[in-house]
Amino acid sequence: MILRAVLASALLAFQIAAILYARTAPTRYFCWAPFDMQTDFEATAIVQGRELTPSEIRARYRRPHKGSDNRSAQHVFDMFEQTERRYHAGDPARITIRYRVNGKEWSTWQYPRP
Amino acid sequence: MAVSAPLTPSWNPLRCAGQGLPVPLALMAKIVALALLLTGHVRLLPDPFLSFIPVLDLLPGPAFQLTLQAVFVLAALAILFNRSLGAACTVLGLTILLAVVSSKAYYGNNKTMCGIMLLLAGLYHPRTGVWFLRAQFVLVYFGAGLNKLLDPDWQSGLFFDHWASARLKNPFYLWLAPQLPPLVAGKLFCWVTIGTELALAAAFMAPRLYPAAIWVSLLFHASLLEFTGTTFTMFFYVMEASVLVFVTWPHELTILYDGGCGICNRIRRFVERLDFDRGFQWEAFQTGAGDRWNIPRAALNERLHLVVSHPAGDRVYAGFRACKLILLYNPSFLLALAAAIALPPGDAALYRRLFVAVWLAFFFPLFNSIGERVYNWVASNRHRLSRESTCAVEPAGRQ
Repeated sequence: MILRAVLASALLAFQIAAILYARTAPTRYFCWAPFDMQTDFEATAIVQGRELTPSEIRARYRRPHKGSDNRSAQHVFDMFEQTERRYHAGDPARITIRYRVNGKEWSTWQYPRP
Repeated sequence: MAVSAPLTPSWNPLRCAGQGLPVPLALMAKIVALALLLTGHVRLLPDPFLSFIPVLDLLPGPAFQLTLQAVFVLAALAILFNRSLGAACTVLGLTILLAVVSSKAYYGNNKTMCGIMLLLAGLYHPRTGVWFLRAQFVLVYFGAGLNKLLDPDWQSGLFFDHWASARLKNPFYLWLAPQLPPLVAGKLFCWVTIGTELALAAAFMAPRLYPAAIWVSLLFHASLLEFTGTTFTMFFYVMEASVLVFVTWPHELTILYDGGCGICNRIRRFVERLDFDRGFQWEAFQTGAGDRWNIPRAALNERLHLVVSHPAGDRVYAGFRACKLILLYNPSFLLALAAAIALPPGDAALYRRLFVAVWLAFFFPLFNSIGERVYNWVASNRHRLSRESTCAVEPAGRQ
């Protein structure tokens, strides 16, 4: 019983920590923020001087080149940036994402940061 | 919430009592497992990609995915067919959570909630009861409400205005918004959502408010489905099923019926066939069974009565209200409802909207007056409706 209670408590405590952490960061992982933000985005990626096609972007980043995400905009950026850092150190891409949150003005995010 | 008396584990998926977990937990787990299987969720399970735990990225992708899928299906089937129910819940919960942390592409609140509720069901122990599951449910509403409360676009109404008009193109919202000053409609929907979520978080911490909170929660998620036409993948199923952790299952359910009425006996036989847990005790009122609760014979002659017995006391329901509770306290019915919603492939938005709306209306208290009228007509004409009647007493109204 004690082990079960400890595991269950740890699970709840982790989520409380995630909810508190979300107050300090733009990400919204494990803090129960479903459908809190609508991010429209269009991504382009250039590898060795050649722009990737939409299907290549989907295969590389597991995200469409153009679409919407129902959570924090940071989740979209994370997918592209962390994919580059973790899997493509040898063939890095220059990524430009044009995005807007909740229908507001369009902004641009780039990786690597200029 | 005591575990029902242990019986031989049954292969019948419609049996929930005596299978190792309290009936509400067993039922919640089965509804979630059933929805996961019927929606083909196994196809979504990922290989490692941008894992939250980087070491998982080192695992061979295809083998990892195949193993996840195999364990997922086996554990879900084990839940349905009552094979070590608690352990199966733990395995399925951990499988889903492993999938969540192994791939940011797969990550989603709905999957996380499924995994956590199943895992917590598997970790259930009679001494801790359902406290952790209830706390989890409260945490979800609190986190969701707090996130929105502190978001400027929710405070201003901009989120809902953009989502409902530009994204969903919801006809009702597109009609309503121009009738009001700019963003007022959006602000209304945003603040109602924030208020509902935070109020539910509070209400589910007060046992006296559980019945009302359960209703509001069911309506809240049903209204999201009605508004958007989607179940948000698994979110609708897991949130609706999870309210069961706030239900104290009765230790006795006694139905007092007219033993001399043909249609009543036909209904009794039909319901008994679907009562796989043998949860209902049928007693003909002619035997004097109603005397235990001081229910007048005249009242028993007019309508069917249901006595719901808890350790804290008994509650008596009659007529249409009794019929509704007989449905709700039968796990077969709730599983059938879940299957009917989950089964249609693809979008099926119109079907799900209609189906959920019809059943919600049927069970909503405001429908009681219509339901009672229909019930009263059937009850007062029951001896004409069936040739099996051997009623020695004139139906009420004909004396």
